[in-house]
Amino acid sequence: MFSAEIVGAWIAVFLTLAIFSYLYRDNPFYKIAEHIFVGVSAGYWASMFFWTQIQPNLFGRLWPVLHEEQTLGILGKAWYGIYNFLHLLYRPAFPEGGVATGHGMQLTYIIPLILGIMMLLSVFSKFSWFARWGIAYVVGMAAGLRSYGFLNSNVIGQIKGSVIPLTGDISTGTIINGIILLIGTITGLMYFYFSKEHKGWFGKIGRIGIYFLMISFGASFGFAVMGRISLLIGRFTDLKAFGGADYHHASIWLLVIMVVLLGIWSFFNKEEKTT
Amino acid sequence: MKKLADLVIKLGNVDRRWIFIIIAIVVMYPLFKPLGLPIRPTESSQEVYAAIEALPEGSKVLLSCEYGPSTKPEIHPMAVGVLRHLFENGHQVYVTCLWPDGQFMAREALEQVAENEYNRTYGEDYVLLGFRPGNEAVIKGIVSDIRKMYTIDSRGIPIDDIPMMNGVKNILDLDFIFSASAGYPGTVEWVQLAADPTGIPMSTGVTSIQVNEVMPYVDAGQIKGILAGMPGAAEYEALLGKTGIATSGMDAQSIAHIVIVLFIIFGNIAFYLERQRSKKTF
Amino acid sequence: MFWKRQIPIAIVALIGTITLFGWFTDQPTIKSFVDDDATQWYDILASFAIFLGALNLLKLQMQKIIKQKSGWQYSIFAILGFLIAFTAGFLMRGAYTVDIKSAGETPQAVAQVLADETGKTVQESEIILGLIEAENSPMSLEKVHWRGKSVNDVANKLANSGAEVEIKPEDWGAHLTKKDSFFNWMFFKIFTPLSATMFALLAFLVASAAYRAFRIRNFEATLLLVSGIIIMLGRVPIGSKISSWFVLYILVLLVTIMVNTWKNSRILTFGTLGIGLLLVTIAGVSMGWPIDKPGFAYLPTLQDWIYLVPNIAGARAIMIGIGLGVFATSIRYIFGIERSYIGE
Repeated sequence: MFSAEIVGAWIAVFLTLAIFSYLYRDNPFYKIAEHIFVGVSAGYWASMFFWTQIQPNLFGRLWPVLHEEQTLGILGKAWYGIYNFLHLLYRPAFPEGGVATGHGMQLTYIIPLILGIMMLLSVFSKFSWFARWGIAYVVGMAAGLRSYGFLNSNVIGQIKGSVIPLTGDISTGTIINGIILLIGTITGLMYFYFSKEHKGWFGKIGRIGIYFLMISFGASFGFAVMGRISLLIGRFTDLKAFGGADYHHASIWLLVIMVVLLGIWSFFNKEEKTT
Repeated sequence: MKKLADLVIKLGNVDRRWIFIIIAIVVMYPLFKPLGLPIRPTESSQEVYAAIEALPEGSKVLLSCEYGPSTKPEIHPMAVGVLRHLFENGHQVYVTCLWPDGQFMAREALEQVAENEYNRTYGEDYVLLGFRPGNEAVIKGIVSDIRKMYTIDSRGIPIDDIPMMNGVKNILDLDFIFSASAGYPGTVEWVQLAADPTGIPMSTGVTSIQVNEVMPYVDAGQIKGILAGMPGAAEYEALLGKTGIATSGMDAQSIAHIVIVLFIIFGNIAFYLERQRSKKTF
Repeated sequence: MFWKRQIPIAIVALIGTITLFGWFTDQPTIKSFVDDDATQWYDILASFAIFLGALNLLKLQMQKIIKQKSGWQYSIFAILGFLIAFTAGFLMRGAYTVDIKSAGETPQAVAQVLADETGKTVQESEIILGLIEAENSPMSLEKVHWRGKSVNDVANKLANSGAEVEIKPEDWGAHLTKKDSFFNWMFFKIFTPLSATMFALLAFLVASAAYRAFRIRNFEATLLLVSGIIIMLGRVPIGSKISSWFVLYILVLLVTIMVNTWKNSRILTFGTLGIGLLLVTIAGVSMGWPIDKPGFAYLPTLQDWIYLVPNIAGARAIMIGIGLGVFATSIRYIFGIERSYIGE
C-alpha cells in the first residue's frame, strides 16, 4: 500500500503545494519547502559533480589501477600509500588497488587538486584568499574561450547573416525583408553608440533603432509569458496525475489539509495592510 | 457611466491573489476538458523536421540534453520527438548532457522511446554518455577528443567497450548536432564552440525565454531551424504525427494567453480612466 | 599581497592567453594542453567550486542555528535536506538488484516465489525461468532495492526455493541515475517538484504584472505591447481561430483613438471611425469574409513576419553589441585591467 512510489507522490504534492502557498502569503509551509530545496540542491549538485568528474577524471588520473607488470619505486609506493589511507577513509570513491576508469597516470593533475583543496580551505575566514587562484584559472580560461566564441559567432557570424542576396532565385518579398532586417540591425546598433550625442539625423536614426528594439522586447515578453505558462501547465499536469485513485487522491487531500492549516495560521497571524 | 468607470478603476486595483486564482482556473480547466485546437507547424519547426529528415540513413547524431525538471514541460517533448524521428529513420544517437539534471531527463526519454517504443539496443543504436561538469569546456573537449572527456558512459561501461563508439574520436566523426537547451550552457555554446568552428549542421529546441537569444543564429543559417518552447514541441509532434504532452498542453496555453491579453487591455483601460479622472480633478 | 593579488592576475593572464591562442596555433603541446588537459582542469575546479558553495551553505545555516538568529528553525530543514541528498549520494548506494542465474532443480517452487515477488502470474514466471535456462543468460529482477537487508531477503527466498541467484549492487557513480535507486527517487520526488514549482510560480507573477504594471505611457511602450500581444496570440492554436476581419476592426478602433488623442475633434474622430468601419465591411463583403485574409491582419501570418523580420533585427543588434562587449571584457580580464574576481 505504501510503496516508495506512493509515498514519493505525496511528498511531491506536499512540496509543490507548499511552494504555491507563497502566492497567498509568505508562510511556514513555503519557508520549510524553500529551505529543503536549498539543502537538497547543495547535496544533489555535490554528489553529481563528485561522481561524474572528481572521482573518475581526477582521482582516476592520480591513482589509476596499476597493471600487473607495473612496479612502483619508493616514491610510487609512498604515493599509493596515500591512496590506501584514502581507501580506508572512504572505500566507495577509492576502491582497492586504484580507480579503474581507463586513464593513465598523469601527475600534472596534482595542480588542479591543490587548487581545488585551496578553494575548499577558503571556507575558513583566515584562508578566504585561497580560492582566488582556482577562480583565477576558471576566469582566465572562460575569457579565452568566450572571446573567440562570441567574436566569431555573435559578431562575424551575425554580420555575415545580415548580407542580403540580390541575385539568384530570390523573391521580392525576401529582398524587402532582408533590407528591413539590415536597417533594423544597423539602427539598433547605432542606438547603443553613446560616444556621439543623439541629436539631429543621428538622433532620428537612433529613434528608428529603438522602435525595432521595442518590437524585439515585446516579442521577448510574449515568449516569456509563453514559457512561464508552459511551466505552470507542467506542474498542474503532475498535480492532476497525483490526484488520481492510484495515488490515493494525494493532491485533493493535501490541498484541503493545507488550506485549512493555512487558514488557521492566517487567523492567528493577521496580515499587515500596507497603505 | 460614472458607476461603470468606478467599477473598472476599482477592478484595476484588485488584490493580485484574485488574478492568481483566475490564472489557476484558466490553466487547469483545459487539462480536464481539452478543446482540441489544431496545431499549425511554423516555418522554423518545419526547418528542424526537414534537416533531420534529410540525414542519410545510419547517420551518427549527437543529442545534447541541457534542461532540468523546471523546464521539462517545454523541452522534454522535443527530446522525445527528436528521438522518435531519429530512431524511425534508423540513425545512431549519442546523448550527452551539459546539465546534471539533463542526465535524468535523457535517461527518462531514452527509456520511453529507445527501450519501450523502438526496442533499440544500448551500445549499438544509442548510448548515454552522461553529464560532465565544465560548461563550454565540455563542448571543447568533445570537439577535440571525446575520450578525454568520457572514459566511461553513464552506466560505468568503458567507452572502448561500446560498439558504436568505434571510429568516433571527436565531433568531426558525427553528422548532426541537436541541442535540447534551457539556458546556459546550451545552444549558444554549441554554436560558438562546435557547429561554427567545425561546420557540422546543427538544430535546436529551446525554452520560449531563450528564443530571441537564439533566433539570429537561425536567420544567419548557423542553426537549421528551431523548436520554440512548448508550441514548437507541439508543432514537431504534429509533424511527426504523434501527439504527446506538448500537444495536450496547448489548449491551456491558448486560453491562458487570451486571458493575459485581456488582463493587459483591461488594466490599461482602468489606467486610462484613472488618469482622465485625476486630470479633471487637478 | 603577492600571493593574494599578483599571482591570481598572472594566472588569468597566462591561462587566458594560452586558451585564446590555442584557437589559432598548431603547436602540438599547446594545442593538446588547451584542448584536453586545460579543459579537464577547468571542469575539476568547477566541481570544487560547487563543493565550496555547499560548504558555505552549511556554514551559514549552522551559524544561524547556533546563534539562534531569526528563522533559525527553518535552517534545520536546510541541513536536513542536505543530509538526505548527501546520504543518497555518498553514504547509501540505494541500488541493489537480484540476478537469477538458474532455476535449479525446483523451477516450480522458484516460479512461485518469483510470482510473489514480481506480481506476475506463476505461468509467466515459469516462462521467464525457461528462457533463462534456454539462453543460459541470467535475468535481473526489475525491482531495485535501497537496502542490503531488503535485497538479501528476496535473494534468500529465491535461493531457498532452489534458484541460483546473485545480488548485484550498482556501481558507485552509476547509482545516481539508476532507475528507481534512492538517489533517483530523491531527484524525482523531492528535487524535481521543488525546482519545477519555483519556476512555475513565475507564471502567476507575470500575469499579475501584465494586469497591474504593464501600462501604455508612450509610443515605444505601445509598440512593445502590440508586438507582445501579436506573438502571444499568433503562436498558439487559438490565434488561427481569430478572424483577420476582427483584427482589422480593432485596428480601425485604435486608429480612431490615436486620431482623437492627436486632434481631439469630434467630427474627425467619428469620421475616421465611420470611414474605417465602412471600408473594412465593404472589403469583407466583397472577399467573402475569409478567416485568413488579408494576410497582414491574420495573427499567425502577422506573427510570423514580426518574429522573422523586425524581431530578429532588434535581437541581432543586441547580440552584436553583447558580442563586442564580451570580447572587450574578456581581453580586459586577460590583460589584468578587470580584476573583479579578486574583489577589486
